[in-house]
Amino acid sequence: MEPIRSYASQEIKQETNQIEPQKEPKLKKRKVWVPGLLLLTPILLFIFGFFVIPMLYILYLSFISTDNLGANDAVYSIKNYTQLFSDSYYLSSLWLTVKISLYSVLVALFLGYPVALTMAKSSARIRGYITLLIVSPLLVSIVVRNFGWYLLLLPNGTINQTLMSLGIINAPLKLLFSEIGVVIGLSNAYLPFMILSIVASLYNIDPSLDKAGAILGASPFRRFFSITLPLSIPGIVSGCILVFSLSMSAYVTPALMGGANVPVMPVVIYDQINNLLHWTFGSALSYILLATTVISVAIFTRVFEKGKFKEVFR
Amino acid sequence: MEVLKKDVEIKRHHLEPVQQSVSKKNDVEIKGAFKQFGSNVVLNGIDLEVKQGELLTLLGPSGCGKSTTLNLIAGFLDADRGEVHIKGNNVTKVPPYKRDLGMVFQTYSLFPHMTVYENLSFGLKLRKVGKAEQKKKISKALELVKMSGLENRYPRELSGGQRQRVAISRALVVEPELLLLDEPLSNLDAKLRHELRAEIKRLQKEIGVTTIFVTHDQEEALSMSDRVVVMNAGKIEQISTPTDIYNHPKTEFVFQFIGKSNCFEGKVSAVDKRTISVKIGSDISLVDADNIMGNDSDLKTGDEVKIYIRPEKLKIVSAEETSFSPIDFHRANISQINYLGTSWEINVLLQGKSIQVLTSDIDSSWKNGSEVFIGWSPSEVMLVKK
Repeated sequence: MEPIRSYASQEIKQETNQIEPQKEPKLKKRKVWVPGLLLLTPILLFIFGFFVIPMLYILYLSFISTDNLGANDAVYSIKNYTQLFSDSYYLSSLWLTVKISLYSVLVALFLGYPVALTMAKSSARIRGYITLLIVSPLLVSIVVRNFGWYLLLLPNGTINQTLMSLGIINAPLKLLFSEIGVVIGLSNAYLPFMILSIVASLYNIDPSLDKAGAILGASPFRRFFSITLPLSIPGIVSGCILVFSLSMSAYVTPALMGGANVPVMPVVIYDQINNLLHWTFGSALSYILLATTVISVAIFTRVFEKGKFKEVFR
Repeated sequence: MEVLKKDVEIKRHHLEPVQQSVSKKNDVEIKGAFKQFGSNVVLNGIDLEVKQGELLTLLGPSGCGKSTTLNLIAGFLDADRGEVHIKGNNVTKVPPYKRDLGMVFQTYSLFPHMTVYENLSFGLKLRKVGKAEQKKKISKALELVKMSGLENRYPRELSGGQRQRVAISRALVVEPELLLLDEPLSNLDAKLRHELRAEIKRLQKEIGVTTIFVTHDQEEALSMSDRVVVMNAGKIEQISTPTDIYNHPKTEFVFQFIGKSNCFEGKVSAVDKRTISVKIGSDISLVDADNIMGNDSDLKTGDEVKIYIRPEKLKIVSAEETSFSPIDFHRANISQINYLGTSWEINVLLQGKSIQVLTSDIDSSWKNGSEVFIGWSPSEVMLVKK
């Protein structure tokens, strides 16, 4: 065989001249794969060098049970992993992370769905404006946004002052440096992802289905729950997965909105590695967080794809 | 749960065959409907009456207002002016889900997350039909469209033709006041279209449900309907039986839109009670006085007119045999002969104009350039004032 790349075009010519139908699939294959692979090479190299290798290195670190990394007598064990289960602090941190992420998903879903529904029913121009509005918070740095929340949520911030002056509460609510604060921050930050994925799936629903429902006698309320909502489940699922994964791994928002009161896993991991210099234990915690996210997402997806509405995923 | 306008226990149409003749009662009446989208007038004063039990077709080019009219009846659109009455009730302000209609859409519109059975039971549940009764009605409705046994399939697992059959039975299972069909065949291939066309016609007659059918396909309209409504630019051009629409079009638009047509321009040379003589070039053609299209039927000598003739109504003969009466023949030359299987399409030059003739008789000696005689009967020519 000749080298593939440089002679590819000549070979194609030769092959089409010979009337041999068996060579057809081979020719097609070469045409599709070679340029595709070439175009993907830079990103593959980038991901390999800056993602796969560091991840493998962290995995390697997580199995070293000596604290002194430079030591030649490194001991390999799963001690770092078992440590998590022996100390309730880390287990409760993991549970806290999952809990806060779930709350953020729910808040984003209930705030986002009506917006998505409105967008899907609007004209293309209005939809453009709403998209711009939804995406615009992403243009502001997350740190700046969090300090913005401070002004509202602090004990003497706008919200507490308003509620107190109206006589609804006597003492300021603990909105900041609490779980509520973190959920507010996370759901706010990731709301655009929820809205945009729901819109995409709402927009794919054939509008005549709603008409068909109406003609058969279903009220708008009924149509929403029997037709629109079930058919938008793929968007809901992907939006939930996005917000959940992002919330699970969020560091800045929990650190600023929750501080030491809300020690979610990313904050704990940062602490272990940067402050306590426990690189190996921090690495193990990272992998535990990753595994928790992946398993949760897998179960969540499974439940929907095998459940009552499995047909909408096809 | 829904409270429907009418008690569903009252049986209107049955899924069992009932021989029901088209009566004089009107099931649908549209009065002076006017609808505008922005500056675009889509319905410009529509008056329409649909008789009980008939299959009425709204036919016209895209943008003529036929779909808008159907949406008005369904309740998906509100007219700017005018009223819609269904079975004697003014439903102009009634939302679609309270109108108790059945509708079949171009895109099938089966609920993709429901099985065939669930699709059919959707409307029945809303009407609070009991489980056992539902089952009976659904199996009967599926049998009607020859889809029994596919209850547990999802729409995705059905072919286009099967989906449309299910859609039809979903519309019928609730025993609606009216059946609305919005171009239901246009997504299917030619063979299936033919098959379903015949089936819809048979079903409609069997069940006797008043049906309004929207299509842009004239063949569909002519073959299926009891009456055809030809629409153009937001107005009704003509409402009549298919044969009448084809043979006695009221307007120039109807003639041109339906079937093929040849057109001559000429001048009225004489008018009497029964016939009008039109001078075309150096020839004279006679036209029945009844065959004047358009509103302006008052003709005088010297008026500029157009006359229309269908290609299959033209007689084509060799030079020798010119003794038919009352047909007047005109000298012409063949410019092209096309064989179509069941007939020949012959293009001839008559008075310098290219004319199309459809005939099943052909003289084997004819070839391009042959001199022939083209004739037509005064009763088959339509005339319109220019």
